[in-house]
Amino acid sequence: MKKIIIQGTITVFLFFGSWYTIKQIDWVKIFRVEKVADKTAQKLGDFLWKTIKNTEEENKNSHVVKTIESIVTQICKSNKIERKSIKIHVINKDEINAFALPNGHLIVYSGLILNSDNQEELIGVICHEIAHIELHHVMKKLVKEIGLSALISMTTGGSGSEIIKETARMLSSSAFDRSLEKEADIKAVDYLISAKINPEPFANFLYKLSDEEHAAAAYFKWISTHPDSRERAAYIIEYSKTKSTTYESMLSIETWEKVIEELREY
Amino acid sequence: MIQIKEFNYQPSEHETETASSSYLMSLIAIIVGVPLPIVNLIATLIFYLGNRKSTYFVRWHCMQALLSQLSMLFINSYAFWWTVSLIFKDETITSNYIAYIIVALVFNLTEFITTIYTAIQTRKGIHVEWWFYGTLTNIICKEKL
Repeated sequence: MKKIIIQGTITVFLFFGSWYTIKQIDWVKIFRVEKVADKTAQKLGDFLWKTIKNTEEENKNSHVVKTIESIVTQICKSNKIERKSIKIHVINKDEINAFALPNGHLIVYSGLILNSDNQEELIGVICHEIAHIELHHVMKKLVKEIGLSALISMTTGGSGSEIIKETARMLSSSAFDRSLEKEADIKAVDYLISAKINPEPFANFLYKLSDEEHAAAAYFKWISTHPDSRERAAYIIEYSKTKSTTYESMLSIETWEKVIEELREY
Repeated sequence: MIQIKEFNYQPSEHETETASSSYLMSLIAIIVGVPLPIVNLIATLIFYLGNRKSTYFVRWHCMQALLSQLSMLFINSYAFWWTVSLIFKDETITSNYIAYIIVALVFNLTEFITTIYTAIQTRKGIHVEWWFYGTLTNIICKEKL
């Protein structure tokens, strides 16, 4: 009996001992796990953006683009996010929607800007999408829904354009897991507070959109892809209460109104 | 790791064949067993149950094959579910995971080679006792039913 205990202990020790020893080596660096993942994300993001660019109309109005970019720049600056990692694009479309693609591409529909009652609502949604990018949710979702091999074959040109179009459609019209959405909401509130933006309008935006009686309900793409809005609005309010600070406006009223005006012209 | 020992008696041709098959069972199941480690265990368990009233030599080797599969089940199941959670859940590949997979592979490979060697030796009527599993089998498997 004694012999078996000794032998058993040695075997278990051998297993865990070698595991512990081997894990001291930085395998992630050796196998270039991050590099491969980054490269796939980079190619995939550019592919998907190209597909969207070819099928939708991109807004090139310098005032609109510059204003939205300045919002992103300020959020990045206050939250120590590398500005170059976020590539924002405005698309002329009535749908109230915004979504993130791999490699930091952030798509905002003009419908979202036009239906935001104030700049804080829009900034809240942008922060939420930046949070998805920064928390690497986009690639995680794609790997889960499509599979890594299909994604890699897309970047090497192994798949047809239909699959790429379908992927872009999926990213723009389906939600992340509930836990990932909550994580992005909380992170968005952190971003807003660091940028001295009141998070309450962001929560109000969710309340507003959860109301089906709202005039623009038919266009609420963003909300249909982001369920349980009331619950989300509630925990955003709850969380932001713990972080009270003085709030400021990011854009002047004139700049914001000019953006709305310019977009209405399209 | 493995020891060749004298068995109590000289097993017959039929006995060596059945005992050798118990190891081959775990090898045959390896194709399915890689993604679903439980299959290996079930294969050897069914074979053991089928031969539990057989002669001592056959029972002894069926038990050794079964026990070795049991510990591999834990190692491989953990590796399998860790990999699944990497793909479907909010986890990333870490050095810890890669190290585990390497160790699991080495243990599997060792077990695989030892199994083939033992299957060949057992077929020849040579009694092979593995480190730890052989000792354990000696305790569990008694000569008299």
